[in-house]
Amino acid sequence: MNSMFVLYLVLNTLVVLAAAPLFVSLIKKVKARTQGRSGPSVFQTYYTLAKLLKKEVIYSPNSSRIMRVTPLVNMAALLAAALFVPLVFVPEPVGGIGNIILFLYLLALAKFFMALAGLDAGSSFGGMGSSREMSISAIIEPTTIIVFAALVFVFKSLNIFDMFSTSAAAGTLTTPVLILLGISLFIILIVETSRIPVDNPETHLELTMIHEGMILEQSGRNLALMELASAIKLTLLMALLINLIVPFGLMTTFTLAGLAIAAILFVVKGSILAGIIGLFESSTAKMRFFRLPSLFAMAFFFSTLVIIIEVFA
Amino acid sequence: MGIEIFYLVLLLLLLGIVIPLAAAGKDRRAARTASLVCTAAASCVLALLSLIVLITSQEIAWTAYQPFDFFSVAFVIDRLAAFFLLIIAVVSFCVAIYSGEYFEHLDGGSRRNLLCAGTSLFILAMVLVVASANTYSFLLFWELMAAGSFFLVMYEYTAAETRKAGIFYFVMTQLSTLFVFLGVIVLSAGTGSSAMTLVQSPASPLIIAAFLCLFLGFSIKAGIIPFHKWLPYAHPASPSPISALMSGVMLKIAVYGLIRFLLDVFTPDIWWGLLILAAGTASAVLGIIYALKEHDIKAMLAYSSIENVGIIFIGIGLWVILNAVSLPALAMIALLGALFHSLNHALFKSLLFLTSGSVVHATHTRDIEHMGGLSHVMPWTSALFFVGALAIAALPPLNGFASEILIYTAFFSSVYAVDSLLKVVMFISLALFALTSALSAACFVKAFGSIFLALPRSRESAEAKEVPFLMLLGPAILAGACIFLGLFALQVFQLAGFSVPEPDMLIVGLLLLVMAGLTLLVLHFTASREVRISETWGCGTLSQQSSAEYSGHGLSEPIDIIFSAIYRTRMKNERSFFDERNTIFKEGTAEIRLLKLFEEYLYLPAARAAMRAATAISRVQNGCLDTYLLYVFLAVIAIIVYLGGFA
Repeated sequence: MNSMFVLYLVLNTLVVLAAAPLFVSLIKKVKARTQGRSGPSVFQTYYTLAKLLKKEVIYSPNSSRIMRVTPLVNMAALLAAALFVPLVFVPEPVGGIGNIILFLYLLALAKFFMALAGLDAGSSFGGMGSSREMSISAIIEPTTIIVFAALVFVFKSLNIFDMFSTSAAAGTLTTPVLILLGISLFIILIVETSRIPVDNPETHLELTMIHEGMILEQSGRNLALMELASAIKLTLLMALLINLIVPFGLMTTFTLAGLAIAAILFVVKGSILAGIIGLFESSTAKMRFFRLPSLFAMAFFFSTLVIIIEVFA
Repeated sequence: MGIEIFYLVLLLLLLGIVIPLAAAGKDRRAARTASLVCTAAASCVLALLSLIVLITSQEIAWTAYQPFDFFSVAFVIDRLAAFFLLIIAVVSFCVAIYSGEYFEHLDGGSRRNLLCAGTSLFILAMVLVVASANTYSFLLFWELMAAGSFFLVMYEYTAAETRKAGIFYFVMTQLSTLFVFLGVIVLSAGTGSSAMTLVQSPASPLIIAAFLCLFLGFSIKAGIIPFHKWLPYAHPASPSPISALMSGVMLKIAVYGLIRFLLDVFTPDIWWGLLILAAGTASAVLGIIYALKEHDIKAMLAYSSIENVGIIFIGIGLWVILNAVSLPALAMIALLGALFHSLNHALFKSLLFLTSGSVVHATHTRDIEHMGGLSHVMPWTSALFFVGALAIAALPPLNGFASEILIYTAFFSSVYAVDSLLKVVMFISLALFALTSALSAACFVKAFGSIFLALPRSRESAEAKEVPFLMLLGPAILAGACIFLGLFALQVFQLAGFSVPEPDMLIVGLLLLVMAGLTLLVLHFTASREVRISETWGCGTLSQQSSAEYSGHGLSEPIDIIFSAIYRTRMKNERSFFDERNTIFKEGTAEIRLLKLFEEYLYLPAARAAMRAATAISRVQNGCLDTYLLYVFLAVIAIIVYLGGFA
């Protein structure tokens, strides 16, 4: 493990931690504007996290160790996963870091713990959230894997680092197929980060919530960790999309000036994508839960067709 | 040297059989303990032997007994056999430790001696099957294994449910033996030899028939859908350590048989691989979908075994296909994935069966809807089960993930290298494999959540006690092995001399630890440390009740509905009314019926056809002497005509 890689580890973690709350707030801001409200400040998520850290944690007497370790495991898994997706600087991969399958399964690890924590307090809201989350993540999985397999084909590597350095070297879109894969990736992003039309991140109504239901019993610093972790997840999936489709500015050899440009460009591109997500969320209605499988089936067939026709023909 | 060690293993296992039998009708714990100690010692020696063979790669081959020229009982322990012997050894060792306490809590008095002896016999038979060098000894010990396991399943024979399960298992396992037998006969007709050596003429129809018979036989034993029905019957009926042995090890013996014949005897065609891949994919995805519907913990684990054997078959199928399209390097990855998953599944499935045995022992029920909250009263058991659940849900950095990633890698790297029709097939298989993996995570969220978390849903569950030390030690070793093989997967492969594209899981484990540590450090300086314990908010109810929490069934309900086309649950609702406008209700019936698809459309029709054929043939046997004399007379005439015709 060379010094460049250590630098990357520190840098990537810091950038993801700094940028993640911003993107969450930006989506909220855009949604508020489209609804004719002025909305909270773009720094609101940072304030909320800081406030939550100062609050006490409340545990249910029914809850076990699962409830206590979940926020930590969730955060650790997402921070580890964050090292798999270079945001601004792509070094040479070391020891399997960047493996796309491992990345997917680190997210699954966090989800597994979260679903169990939802059940732990014995509240029916939590159970409902866990049940729905596990069902949805199961039926989106085939699409995710197919899209990842196509990425592996396009870039001839299983490693996200290699994919990014190929696309960064080109600076522009490597092949037009990526636009179509980008659409599939966008659908996966919407599903995996619990956004409309799959889930509604802003309600606490039992009929509509999935992700919020699972973390309903979390409080104080634990809730802060859960919120930050899901913001990181959003940022990572956004970065995957950005650095594959519009990679210009992504740095492969380290320079300070390059870092500054890459970081600014990443935040700008991320903000635009956050705006698109916000507009997308505002323009669709939340779907009824049992209508989702047909949406996913559509996403699946779309991705598979695209891949078979465009990529492998 | 190796031969003597192997005989020592056999001797110890024979002692394990003889000692409890010598105690005969007397209900002696000492005899049972001695037997289990012998089994455990045999497992240790066996593990040592197989490790020696695995590391030195020197195969041991010898003929033990040769009464005739054409018949011999011969053994060979090469690396493949040694690998499966290692699986047997590790699981048997932990099962023997666990059983030392578990068997004592069973009913049945001196019958428990037989159970100990039967366990040793079963392990002995499995060891001998794997070590067999020719088809004769393979068949002989295969049948011994089948018979031994049947008696173990029938232990609680007084229960009607067990008797039904036992008979079902017996029929299926005999069917498996029948097909393996047929395969071996056809094979020796094709080659004229009983040795397991490479057949030179691959394309002959006789060889294809032999492969199909063997594939069928091994599939039945391995629980591949649609021949899987015996698993969810036999596992709940038998004692938990026996389930652990059957699911963890015996299914792998069938996998071993398939790999052995494909590797040493046949030169597989590409469609053989497609057949295996299709069977594996169907079993994997249907197995886990059925598992999600189960609320009998052991039946759920049985279905999950079907799923995992499906994953192993996917690996084997990929191996055959990739070899046939000459991608040997990727084929090797697929085979290593299948083999590694066999070992991993043996470890975590025995772990889950043993810990669920502890849970059943503590709560006196197998229904997960009557459990709940056990993590408070059985902290150690719940921690061990949790490791098993993480491993089986293929989460990093545990061993289940370490083997599944190899199969994923083989899929990802090969999909573009094959021609377009094959591509579509592999794509479908890959998508279903991913679905399987995600559903198994959902399944074990349901299992762990319903059994161990939230409030107890029955009095038994609230009053459950943690199990004794030995019943924790056995599973603890397995859990340790799951963690070890997960973290050191890459290093283990390197030690065995294989270079695999496996990410270094040790780094992943370290990363997770470092990140958790950093998070704690940051929290230590920034966050409040106040903690309050307070009732879960229940929308204003005075006290929280277990009846209000999410049940296991509720948890899997969305998946039930999404996959309702597969479950085909039929709901019937008939009502009659007093008046014409259907307002005053008179009476009605409602019925929810689970369609047992395979039983109703495959097993029963097959059984009925067999019954009809038997009835038709039995007309010939009417028990009347005159008729038999007539048969003799006709036979004599026929012989005279036949001989006369050629004279």
